[in-house]
Amino acid sequence: MEKTRYAVWFLGTLAIAITALAVFNALAGDFILNHPSGGSVQTLSGFERTLKPVWLARIKPELVLVGTSRVRDGFDPTLIDPALKIKSFNYGASSMTPYEARRFVQDALSQPSVKRVVVALDAFTGNNGTGEALPSFDETRLAVTPDGSPTPRRKLWLFTTAYLSGGALGMNALGVLALVRLGPGQTAADRPDIFGAYSHMTLKVMQRDLDYRRARGMSMGERARGEFSTMLAQACHARAPLTLFFPPDNMAIVARYRQTDPKGFDTLKRTVTEVVAKHNRQCPDKVTLFDFMAPNALTTEGLKDGLSPDYVDLVHFRPSAGLWLLRQMGLKNGSL
Amino acid sequence: MPFNSYPYFVFLAVAVLGFRLLEKSALTGRRVFLLLASYAFYAWWRADFLFLLCGSTLVNYALGREIEQRRARQSDRRALLIAGLAFNLGLIATFKYDTLFVGTADQLLGLGLPVPHFFLPLAISFFTFEQISYLVDADAGKTHGYTLLDYALFVAYFPHLIAGPIVRHNDLIPQFRQTRTSNDDLATGITLFTIGLAKKTLIADNLAPFADAIFNAAGRGMHLGPTDAWLGTLFFAFQIYFDFSAYSDMALGSSVMLGIRLPVNFHSPYKAASIIEFWRRWHISLSAFLRDYLYIPLGGNRHGRGRRALNLFITMLLGGLWHGANWTFMLWGGLHGLYLSINHAFRRATKDRAVAPALHLPLHIASVALTFAATTLAWIVFRAPDLASARNVVEGLLGGGHSNVVSFSHLAQVTLLLLFIVVWFMPNSMELMWNYRPALPSPYADQPVEPARRLSWAPTPLHAAAYGLLCILAVLALSNLKPFIYFQF
Repeated sequence: MEKTRYAVWFLGTLAIAITALAVFNALAGDFILNHPSGGSVQTLSGFERTLKPVWLARIKPELVLVGTSRVRDGFDPTLIDPALKIKSFNYGASSMTPYEARRFVQDALSQPSVKRVVVALDAFTGNNGTGEALPSFDETRLAVTPDGSPTPRRKLWLFTTAYLSGGALGMNALGVLALVRLGPGQTAADRPDIFGAYSHMTLKVMQRDLDYRRARGMSMGERARGEFSTMLAQACHARAPLTLFFPPDNMAIVARYRQTDPKGFDTLKRTVTEVVAKHNRQCPDKVTLFDFMAPNALTTEGLKDGLSPDYVDLVHFRPSAGLWLLRQMGLKNGSL
Repeated sequence: MPFNSYPYFVFLAVAVLGFRLLEKSALTGRRVFLLLASYAFYAWWRADFLFLLCGSTLVNYALGREIEQRRARQSDRRALLIAGLAFNLGLIATFKYDTLFVGTADQLLGLGLPVPHFFLPLAISFFTFEQISYLVDADAGKTHGYTLLDYALFVAYFPHLIAGPIVRHNDLIPQFRQTRTSNDDLATGITLFTIGLAKKTLIADNLAPFADAIFNAAGRGMHLGPTDAWLGTLFFAFQIYFDFSAYSDMALGSSVMLGIRLPVNFHSPYKAASIIEFWRRWHISLSAFLRDYLYIPLGGNRHGRGRRALNLFITMLLGGLWHGANWTFMLWGGLHGLYLSINHAFRRATKDRAVAPALHLPLHIASVALTFAATTLAWIVFRAPDLASARNVVEGLLGGGHSNVVSFSHLAQVTLLLLFIVVWFMPNSMELMWNYRPALPSPYADQPVEPARRLSWAPTPLHAAAYGLLCILAVLALSNLKPFIYFQF
């Protein structure tokens, strides 16, 4: 084989593969964003860090929900949007670190369409600091740099992410596969086997969770606190307000947090309350705080007929509970 | 723009295509095109630093030419050479080391000095060193009246601009005047580039999260357990190996596509059976530069054993500091200086000892393992953000703490086993491609690159399919923009 032919075949094959990748990502992306249940794909776990910044820029939501898998599982735009008459976006991602949470909030606040950003505070627990993020997180996809200036060439990076990345291929394939498996007239709520966020906690799951998370604590380290304070400082100059909430972890698991690290748990709540109060004195009407990690109708509920109405497991609440939480936060018909 | 990004692929394609289209035109046109492409490549990051690059190029060129002319006239040129060195070292000291030195002085003496924080211009360490070598060689009569265009292209030539290899003017400039860009080079170049891209996106970038998680935990003050400490150390040793060899392959591959050869920069360093050999295989262009422009001018081995050890130590200390403005890099360099001194002393002590043939292999295996252990331990201070974190990791290696950041899962075990097989037993990319001369030979005659006996690359349909598939996999893994470790230097 001549070397010229080698180069032609090599580059030709590569060009065909990249073109196929781009065409698939373009078609799949459109399919997901235009499907009646497309919003439910945002509750799926996969390559969310890769594609969600792209979706955020395309969907142009009014309400953005940021947090860990609790948020990702618990807020389904397909359910929220018709109920509250708004356009929402689920910016949740598994094991979100404090730095990622701060950066995703910055990204959300930088979108002109966004009128409110809701943040689950468990993302600010632990002790990860600046720059610490999971592998698929990428700064270049976010609207602004950590210091708030516009990200250079962001459109280019969003383009290559949306059409030319393996991460997009994975997330799009996952989304398309989930949506085409829905039967006629079915929504994500009808298929918990595909959309796990709609499954119900059983006694077995509850016991497994109590065992699995038996040494789990809930505290905020110095570095996480730093990221939290930075987020608040940046929110002060933003157009959209922030709504913070302690997620409604079931009281059974909250008891474990108190058992493992009672001081850390109490300090977390006190710290957040104090930092928010201090912030509100300097920058009023920008941040509100809700505490659902306390005894309430949701967190104290028991199993009914062996199934939990509102939980997937002891920390992940179902999208119906997510909608209830938003209403508790004062979000009503078209009002943010 | 980063080598591992789509914009660079497009840029490279345009550069190669443009360069080839100009093949039949005047040589000057090709060189101007390549220079403009290189400046565009550099300006992608920060256009304002292009002024710094151009300014530095002009000053050094003017000084170099004047030194050449004075040498021809046999007049005194010492002041010019000193001024040139001061200019280059001053530039790098201002932008790279000001914060470290002023900050440390302020901390130690409590003077309340204002600590400057400059944005580090990309590639400043590389283009400054290359220009220092030009001035020193001009003084020694080794330069040949280059034109400004040739010189500017030598400094800015994009495949080596950001992170090396550190190239000598006499290696590169004569090649700019060649008219040849054979079609053979394209096949060789894209294959070498593909090997590098795959090393980066499929191996180095997948090791990074584990090494990062463990070193970040150490940075937070967590007392690492032995599993975390050992895995973090090993994962980083392999991450930097594949990251830097990936960069070197991509730089050399990009250049080969243009028909220009850069020097070999990476030659299976973990196969080294001594620290001396390690430095003839790892970042070869840097170690050769340090040897020729620092160690030998300091006196090298010409003034006795003690002086040699001191010269080695100083050379490696400064080599470490060249990597970054942090005392951890200096400590890393110092450790290697110490290793090298011990290595030379050991060689001297065992020079006349005969070893039974049956012991050759076991001794070689032990030497390779010991060299790997020593370099891997030194990587701890290289990777750690500060000395306290490094100490934390070292204590973890000795069983100090009880952290559980990662587990020694089956996946981790298999991964480590495969990595050891690759770095110890597989031919490297240079050996695979050597029949097609992808690079200039190593400056170390005792460590030449030989063609691989197995798996050697040839432009066959099977290789086209295999490397094409590898390229597709590497491109699919390009979801995130992860910079090369050496880009920060």
